[in-house]
Amino acid sequence: MRTENVDVAVVGGGPAGLAAASAASEAGAESVLLIERGERLGGILNQCIHDGFGTKMLGEALTGPEYAQIFIDRLSDAGVISNLDTMVLDLNSDRELTICNEDGIRRVKAGAVVICTGCRERTRGAIRIPGSRPAGVYTAGVVQEYMNMRNILVGRKAVILGSGDIGLIMARRLTLEGVKVECVAEILPHPSGLARNIVQCLDDFDIPLHLSTTVVEIHGTDHLRGITLAQIGPKGGVVRGTKRFIECDTLLLSVGLIPENELAKKAGIELSPVTAGPIVDDQFQTSVPGMFCGGNALQVHDLVDYASMESQKAGQSAAIFAGSGRLPAPSIPVQPGSGIRYVVPQALSGEEAVDFSMRVFNPEEDRYVVFRRDGRVVRRMKQTELDPAAMIRIRVRADRFKDGEGPLTVEVTD
Amino acid sequence: MNGEIVCVVCPTSCLVQAEWDDEKLINIDRARCKLAWDYVASEIFDPRRTVTTTVSVDAGPIPLVSVKTASPVPKGMVFDVMNQLAEVVAKAPITVGDVIVKDVSGTGIDVVATRNVD
Repeated sequence: MRTENVDVAVVGGGPAGLAAASAASEAGAESVLLIERGERLGGILNQCIHDGFGTKMLGEALTGPEYAQIFIDRLSDAGVISNLDTMVLDLNSDRELTICNEDGIRRVKAGAVVICTGCRERTRGAIRIPGSRPAGVYTAGVVQEYMNMRNILVGRKAVILGSGDIGLIMARRLTLEGVKVECVAEILPHPSGLARNIVQCLDDFDIPLHLSTTVVEIHGTDHLRGITLAQIGPKGGVVRGTKRFIECDTLLLSVGLIPENELAKKAGIELSPVTAGPIVDDQFQTSVPGMFCGGNALQVHDLVDYASMESQKAGQSAAIFAGSGRLPAPSIPVQPGSGIRYVVPQALSGEEAVDFSMRVFNPEEDRYVVFRRDGRVVRRMKQTELDPAAMIRIRVRADRFKDGEGPLTVEVTD
Repeated sequence: MNGEIVCVVCPTSCLVQAEWDDEKLINIDRARCKLAWDYVASEIFDPRRTVTTTVSVDAGPIPLVSVKTASPVPKGMVFDVMNQLAEVVAKAPITVGDVIVKDVSGTGIDVVATRNVD
């Protein structure tokens, strides 16, 4: 088998991979190979034709394709080689990749690897909706690709299950293209998507959002004929007398995203049971030396800007590892406390400022996120609104937390 | 008058408390940045939206090019814009920023490409 050597190999050409590859190159990696299994760079951004991308990183609201193009242009300026239509079949802990495309199969030995494999949508199977198995039941992202890339309209009357951002965006998109969106149903008592999308995508078009409500049956033999909705009580059961049939030919599922980490598992990288992504330190290095991770493969993001920003850091770290090999070692564990579902990164070197990403369990108002080490308050930040659907990002300077014995804890307090 | 308006300028989605009279915005509260003022004022007196959609492409490698209104159009004109764009066929090659339709639906606003098509 042919073998080639590169300084940094980046797996995945979506927003995270694009940012990681150009950052690795700018940080001094001489050869950077970007491997993308699809036919174009940009990943999911290509089908996200709505705007709002880039407000945090670039200071303007761009559409997905525009945002992607900026990073694709940077990539060519940086001299990164990209292989499209190329699949990574295997990745081992010695940073050897087996890759395959039209030209055949080859081995790539990388000085460092950045895993930017993104995430995939949860399907009907993942949430076990009872009923028949007709055509007309899709994940929201699939319909988005059909509509925005292939010019295919999937139906005329739709129900959307799940109030995640993609579902909300698709409620508007379908409505604009003449599809009647009957409603959005959300099993939780609060929306899963950003408030701005509730306003712009549902309220603008008078599309009802039913909270604590889910689809309890799917009807139809060949094609979807309708669904049964029901309210869900506080203990998770169906509230008696609330079942109702809604006629529709399309059901969109926007019921969550799962980081895609098959390759990371093959390489023996330790994953977090909460984020489903690798456990990383403040250099975005995983449990396997020389393997880095960023973007939705690491943690599911709400905003592409943050996926790009953390992947830039991962790319820079990969370049340093492939070069001198000297990265600050993690010595301080990070522990989520009361009210916090997870915090990334999970370990710190204490040598540099850290941008923490975290999510809370419950919606709350006027609380504080408090960082403590050995009981001492390191940082305390007021949050007017805490929303499980919105990732919180807080920067903490190294001199605030580097001295101490125990872990750095993060919690929500009054 | 008083009301709560979700600012949609950025994903932070501040729930802004606003106070206004017949002519102007008087005060806002709970916004986390200055951009909320202009958005809230516009939302009360002249609500607008950027329309993002696709138009057909002739002779390109992909069937559609994604487009947007170069600036937000009056909210009531959104479906007029969609109807006009349904008839439009753009010719490849196209570069991000190319004007696909001038003065769409009489709004004075152009529709521009958001994707390159070879």
